[in-house]
Amino acid sequence: MKTMALLVVPACLLVLALLVGPMILMFRISLNQFSPTQLMVQAFTPDNYIKAATDPYYQQIIVSTLGIALFCTLLTLVLAFPAAYWLGRIESRWKSLAVIATLFPLLVGNVVRSAGWMALFSRGGLINVTLLKLGIISEPLEIMYTPKAVIIGIIAVVLPYMILTIASVIESIPRDLEDAAANLGASGLRVFWRVILPLSAPGVAAGSILVFVLCMNTYATAVLLGGPKFKMMAPAVYDQFVRGNNWPMGATLAFMLLAVTMAFTVFGSVAFARRYRTA
Amino acid sequence: MSRLSLERLSKRFGTSVAVDELDLTIQQGELVALLGPSGCGKTTTLRMVAGFLPPTSGRVLFDAEDVTRQPAYKRATGMVFQSYALFPHMTAADNVGFGLEMRGLNAAECKARIDEALKLVRLPHLADRLPRQLSGGQQQRVALARALVINPRIFLLDEPLSNLDAKLRSEVRLEIRALQQRLGLTTLMVTHDREEALTMADRLVVMEGGRVRQIGTPQQLYDTPKDAFVADFVGRCNILSGRRESEVQFRTDSGLALPVDSMADECKDADAFALRPERITLLTGGTDGVQGRLKAVTYMGPQTEYVVAVGEETLVVIRQTPGAGEPLAALKPEDTVSLQWDRRAPRLVPQTSA
Repeated sequence: MKTMALLVVPACLLVLALLVGPMILMFRISLNQFSPTQLMVQAFTPDNYIKAATDPYYQQIIVSTLGIALFCTLLTLVLAFPAAYWLGRIESRWKSLAVIATLFPLLVGNVVRSAGWMALFSRGGLINVTLLKLGIISEPLEIMYTPKAVIIGIIAVVLPYMILTIASVIESIPRDLEDAAANLGASGLRVFWRVILPLSAPGVAAGSILVFVLCMNTYATAVLLGGPKFKMMAPAVYDQFVRGNNWPMGATLAFMLLAVTMAFTVFGSVAFARRYRTA
Repeated sequence: MSRLSLERLSKRFGTSVAVDELDLTIQQGELVALLGPSGCGKTTTLRMVAGFLPPTSGRVLFDAEDVTRQPAYKRATGMVFQSYALFPHMTAADNVGFGLEMRGLNAAECKARIDEALKLVRLPHLADRLPRQLSGGQQQRVALARALVINPRIFLLDEPLSNLDAKLRSEVRLEIRALQQRLGLTTLMVTHDREEALTMADRLVVMEGGRVRQIGTPQQLYDTPKDAFVADFVGRCNILSGRRESEVQFRTDSGLALPVDSMADECKDADAFALRPERITLLTGGTDGVQGRLKAVTYMGPQTEYVVAVGEETLVVIRQTPGAGEPLAALKPEDTVSLQWDRRAPRLVPQTSA
């Protein structure tokens, strides 16, 4: 047992050196002060946190990030469940093909994918040209540089994670249980509500948390599809560090992002665990 | 409870035929077991009765009502699954109450009927347990209560005992049978275990390759099987191929002459001699009957199995285990023995049925 435990040491050291270390450093920086001339001034003050929490500019960013993340998570869940159910239930050789097809969007990098969406969404893009030609619309739709574009872009990325997480749980639900429920008089919809959904709760929880964290930390999609006016937290952190040279505020926002993400994740899992304790 | 009728029921999967024109009627209160090797179509038949699988052709009737096109949730069959299929996130009581809830009964009535059903299977004290906190036997009884509480029109059992250990199995077997008879349940059971089928069923249906080989009472199938497959499937059987030679004699392909009754033939061109191992009397040495050489002796507790080489054939004999001092107790391999049987014991059957 003792020698077995040694096997985790390299990984632990790596995490300690490359994740925990920098985070402690960042936290220290977030307590410093910023001056436009000297950039970072050594200090020990919660001023940055107070500012981030009270300044409407930052409040707006936090609220819209949270809103987008929650909305995307919910919509992804609704879109993913039927596909996940199908994927978790098919047998035969098509299964591995279906899994690969599900993963396919992830083979393209975020930036490349967003560039593709830009070509699709812009005023002269494929969607607008097609709809105009077909006479369905008379004015080009404004999709690009709106939250709509960001939401579509994010969901396209996170959908595979949700589908695969839920599918793996559905796979483990014996099919007999569905037959048994039907045998006892439950129609398809009631089988879903009373048997499938409660039993896939662990997958729904895991998938939602994973997707929520990914949404909260969206960077490339938000920048490329949201445009300059639309702000989410990850780009805001980047702006503070690189454009504004304001390291203390950047570090503060990074920690706010982490804190909000963790708070919602923990709250969500606890509430969920209570609801489906027995699952 | 209803009468169950299957009329020319067939199921094809692509080009393979799982069930081929099955005709069967189960009277109200009767327990019929479908018995056969895996892939014989028995489970497919059960699933068509429950409504989980649509038949390719044919009809399923409950009394005079054609339910062939009815979805499973409207059929009101009560099924006990091989895996029990208890809902893992619900307590025993909630599992039992599920069917009542689906029928829209109010809470008080549900409660009363759940209590009654759990009492029926002697588990009222475990109502609040989750399935994983119950033993295999207890889970099985919850599954039984859950299927019975809805007053099903047809009671379905899918290999109900296969997940229980041997000791529990004989106990539960008697319990289910007693319950089935007391409540007058029209029951279709699927099993590959002949002992289960012989001891529980009013009638047996031996299936093979999607077709019925023989339908009859356990005694009929055991004593007068229609063909070699049925003879072998419902119990251990010595089957030797050959031809009837005279009114009183059967000649095996290897040339061995065996005594048979003139009425032993199941059909005109029977080409196999079928004799149950326990119908053969074993004598040490001796000159009466069929001479053989003992090959192996296997002690099985109450019985002992003797493998005897007779000419080029091998016969299995099962006798009550002899007590110390009895002649059979001293038998060892390579001893000379003789075999005798009542002329009426062997049956002459076709090797394969048409």
